[in-house]
Amino acid sequence: MSFIEVKGLKYKYPHTSKLVLNGINFEADKGQFIGIIGENQAGKSTLCQAFAGLVPTMFRGAYGGKVLIGGVEASKVPIAVLCQKVGLVFQNPFNQLSGAKDTVFEEIAFGLQNLGIPREEIGKRVEKALMLLDINKYKERNPFDLSGGQIQRVAIASILAMEPEVLVLDEPTSQLDPQGSESVFQVIEKLAKTGITIIMVEQKMEKLAAYCDKILLLHQGTQVAYDVPERIFSRDDLKKLGVKPPIYTQVSKLLLVNRKEGEEFIYPVTLKQIEKQKDQFPSIRSAGVRERNSEKQDKGVFSIRDLSYYYVPGVLVIDKLTLNLDMRPTAVIGQNGAGKTTLVKLLKGLLKPKAGTVLLEGEDISGRTVAQLAKKIGYVFQNPDDQIFKNQVLEEVMVGPLNIGMTRKEGEARAREALEMVGLLHAAKENPYDLDLSERKMVAIASVVAMDPKVLILDEPTIAQDVRGREVLGQLIRTMEEKGKFVLAILHDMDFAARYFRRFIVMTGGKVIADGPGDQVFYEKDTLIKARLEPPHITRLCELLGYEGAFLTTEDIRK
Amino acid sequence: MKSISLYIDKDSFLTRLHPFAKLVYILAAISVPLIGGALWMYGLFLVFSLGLLISGGILKKVFPLIAFSFTILITIFLIHGLFNKENITFLFRIGGLTFYREGLLYACRIGLNILNMLLAFASFVLTTRPADLVDDLEQAGFSPRFGYMITSVFQIIPQMMGTMNTILDAQRSRGMETEGSLFTRARAFIPLIAPVVSSSLINTRERAIALEVRGFGSKNKKTFLKEHRLSGGDKMFMFLMALLIAASAVWRILHVIY
Repeated sequence: MSFIEVKGLKYKYPHTSKLVLNGINFEADKGQFIGIIGENQAGKSTLCQAFAGLVPTMFRGAYGGKVLIGGVEASKVPIAVLCQKVGLVFQNPFNQLSGAKDTVFEEIAFGLQNLGIPREEIGKRVEKALMLLDINKYKERNPFDLSGGQIQRVAIASILAMEPEVLVLDEPTSQLDPQGSESVFQVIEKLAKTGITIIMVEQKMEKLAAYCDKILLLHQGTQVAYDVPERIFSRDDLKKLGVKPPIYTQVSKLLLVNRKEGEEFIYPVTLKQIEKQKDQFPSIRSAGVRERNSEKQDKGVFSIRDLSYYYVPGVLVIDKLTLNLDMRPTAVIGQNGAGKTTLVKLLKGLLKPKAGTVLLEGEDISGRTVAQLAKKIGYVFQNPDDQIFKNQVLEEVMVGPLNIGMTRKEGEARAREALEMVGLLHAAKENPYDLDLSERKMVAIASVVAMDPKVLILDEPTIAQDVRGREVLGQLIRTMEEKGKFVLAILHDMDFAARYFRRFIVMTGGKVIADGPGDQVFYEKDTLIKARLEPPHITRLCELLGYEGAFLTTEDIRK
Repeated sequence: MKSISLYIDKDSFLTRLHPFAKLVYILAAISVPLIGGALWMYGLFLVFSLGLLISGGILKKVFPLIAFSFTILITIFLIHGLFNKENITFLFRIGGLTFYREGLLYACRIGLNILNMLLAFASFVLTTRPADLVDDLEQAGFSPRFGYMITSVFQIIPQMMGTMNTILDAQRSRGMETEGSLFTRARAFIPLIAPVVSSSLINTRERAIALEVRGFGSKNKKTFLKEHRLSGGDKMFMFLMALLIAASAVWRILHVIY
């Protein structure tokens, strides 16, 4: 008998008719690393909750089948008992905080105190968790004062310290910078080697392929497959299921590099496997010369001079920054806490510079209120729930246009156009709170796009978006560019950034340490390491294969 | 994040004193003059409290509190000095206003009482971390649920104010004018209500789940990070206070008899 057994699991939330989980069957042994993938609404988060007993104990609803963990049935024991066996890291780390502890140390100790672990043991375990997640330096800080990425680490540490036998993680690295998420994966793999079973929902397919023993593929609540990563990602129906295989597999499929296993073609899914089949790849390939639209110097949008900002005197978050931004779609990249969000808030006028100036098309913005700037600069917040207040999607999107003085008719036309761009025109009459998080994010984006601003600023737009959502976003960025708008985005997803953006600004410690087109920035290795970044996966792949030139997207290979 | 607790992080005799000992001090400071009934007892505890506050180096933080209470004190003096129904003995006259001895004495008693309580509470509130107090209460047998309720207020209110600001920013970003006349600002308040209420409702539900997952409902006996036992000094202090209360009772009895 396996350590974990899921048998015929079915579930639907109360007052709904659709099964969100419909016949899930799989087994896992101690120390295995299991990945869960699927598009939005595939049932991934609900399955995570079923492991922790939250479904059905907390949420009620109709439940069928069994989840057995070491012979214990998850739905039949109190959560307080089950949590000693199964640890769950939430999708939104902010909600994982206890809300009663004012230092990181005490926050991590909270669960251990509840379980009555002896005091010396608590001290040891908390210290260990702090070290593992590299947050020792924040141990005396208030958890609510930390950035999203830092809170995510605290949330993982607080569950790790409870030393569960099964660790369930729901997109644990969504807010982390690239090297940060790599180190979290390494920590988790180490845990798996000590016999802890890992179940993880992730959008980062390259990482899952490299670390998972098996992957569970879900689609609209049903189980499509449960197999090793190679076999899952070699399937040819992935596109239909809203899943994209790792970049490595995409390229291998493109270049027909595979091996035959029975009747099936199996493609490499990791860089290591590619290395083994290196001789199968066509040898000489060099990327065509990139058209550099940038050379015909576009006219400037923002002109930033000696800009400085701090929240606490003496600790500069933006450090004498001088930068010109032109019409090229620009991605701001860098590690957690590099000052990216602070910079864009200064550009939007939400924060007032402590020193230096920001000129928008030659005019100093410091004398304008945020509302006056709204006509020209649109800013989409990370959390859509901070702005939604109407009970109809169309009305919500029309708020901005009406605020800046458009007529109702014009506002509605703009709103419909914006909803069309984010693929939500069909939901115009619905209540935004009935949509899921990724759709609400799209509503928030549409509500800013509808104001037809000259500048569109996006703060981590790809969080919580699946493959389809990302494509919609990418398309939106291209459309905005064609319409002569300036798009500025903060991003942690380098593949997405490389695909849709033309200029990259690398920040660390409140300074810009690299600035230029992707084929330049992503090849400056030292800079990337300094900023805790990684080049796009395709760049690494082509480097391994010895391809000359700059590769930033899979299209670069096709040429 | 701005803290709403008044605790001032300074190492002093007062911060080291066990919260319970400080609570006993408040009890003594209020009950001794009430039981004893003599005006000089207020004076005694006022001097005592001031001494404690000076030793803790937090006297400056008390001034705003005292200044605020003075507005109330002056009103009390005016009303009772002029209009107390027992006023008989003429004392002095300012302009057309006549002040009487009985009323002023009565006002003096109330005023000293207010000031005394204020200083006694200040020496407790300014020197005690709310989390420590709750921790001690739980160790003394209060339920952890009650403790959580208290500590979470100190975290969640500032956090809600933070959310408020983010929501305000999000609306300003969409062209809602929030700066300017009172009317503009009042109107800008309406779109804040729905997101604030809905996000706190969502947060509350999620937090309840988060607590469950962290073993909050566990039947095991909770471990405390710091074991804050009453030290010899604390016990001595509490004994002294008890003695003062007893002494005031004796004093009162003797005064009634003779």
